[in-house]
Amino acid sequence: MSSFKGLDLFGSGPHRFSLGRQGQHVVPDYLLGLGGAGSTPQGLVELDVVVKGRLVSATESGLWALRDAEVAQLLDPPDPGLLADGRGREWTGMSFITWTEEPRVEKGRVWSVAYTAVFRRFE
Amino acid sequence: MLVLNPRRVVFAGTEWPGVTLVAVDREATRVAVEWGDAGPHPTFADVTEQRVGVRVVIELGDEDVGSPVPGAAGTLSFHTSRSGSEGGRRRVSMSAVVTGVSHELSLKRGAVRTIDLVAVSADGAADPVTLADTGAE
Repeated sequence: MSSFKGLDLFGSGPHRFSLGRQGQHVVPDYLLGLGGAGSTPQGLVELDVVVKGRLVSATESGLWALRDAEVAQLLDPPDPGLLADGRGREWTGMSFITWTEEPRVEKGRVWSVAYTAVFRRFE
Repeated sequence: MLVLNPRRVVFAGTEWPGVTLVAVDREATRVAVEWGDAGPHPTFADVTEQRVGVRVVIELGDEDVGSPVPGAAGTLSFHTSRSGSEGGRRRVSMSAVVTGVSHELSLKRGAVRTIDLVAVSADGAADPVTLADTGAE
C-alpha cells in the first residue's frame, strides 16, 4: 500500500509514481548579467516525486471525503514526511506541495476523479 | 435493443405508420481507463459518458413531405410485437431528439426513410429508456 506519513491517500484507485526532472538547474548567463550566450549551473534541482492516479468511491460523498483528505495534507509551512510507493521504494523528507484534479469528476458505475499530486524534498 | 415491426410508434404525439424496425444502440462516448505500477493491464475502467442512439426505419408507401426535422424533440414510444401475440408485449418509451432524416430508394425495399434520434435523460443519471410490461393491454 502506498502512503504519505503513514496515510493511505491514494489506495482508493489506481495510481503511478514517477520522478520529476533531475540534475542541474542551468541559467543563461545573460540573465545573470554576465553577457554572452553561455550558461551557468546553479546546483542540483530539488527532488520531485509525482503521483498520478484516480480517486474512486461508490458515492459522491465518499469521493468528497477522499478529496478532502488529500487537501488536508497541504500544509503551510510544509510538513515533510515519508512517502512510500507500496512497492518497496520510499522517499524521506517529502513535502506535499500541489494537488491538481482533472477538470471533471466522472460519474459512471462509480464516482471518480483523476489527479496529479506533487511531493518535493526541499533543500 | 432491436425491435422488428413494432406496434404503434408515436413521436411527439404523432404516429409514424409503416415502421419496420427500431434499433436502440448504446455507445460509450467517454471511457476512463487507468493503469497501476504493477503491470501492463488496466486496473480500472468505467464508462463515464454514454449515448443512446435510436434508429427508426419506415417503409413509405407513397410520397411524404411531412418528415420530422433535426432538433425536433418529444417522447418516442412503441410496443414490442412478439410474433403477433398479445402476451408479453412491452412498451418502450424515451425522451428523444431527432438528429437526422434520410431516404433511400431501392427496387427490393422501395422507399425507405431512416430517422436517427438521440435519447435524453431527465436528469443525466436516469436511463433515458424505460420499459413497461403491457401484457394484452
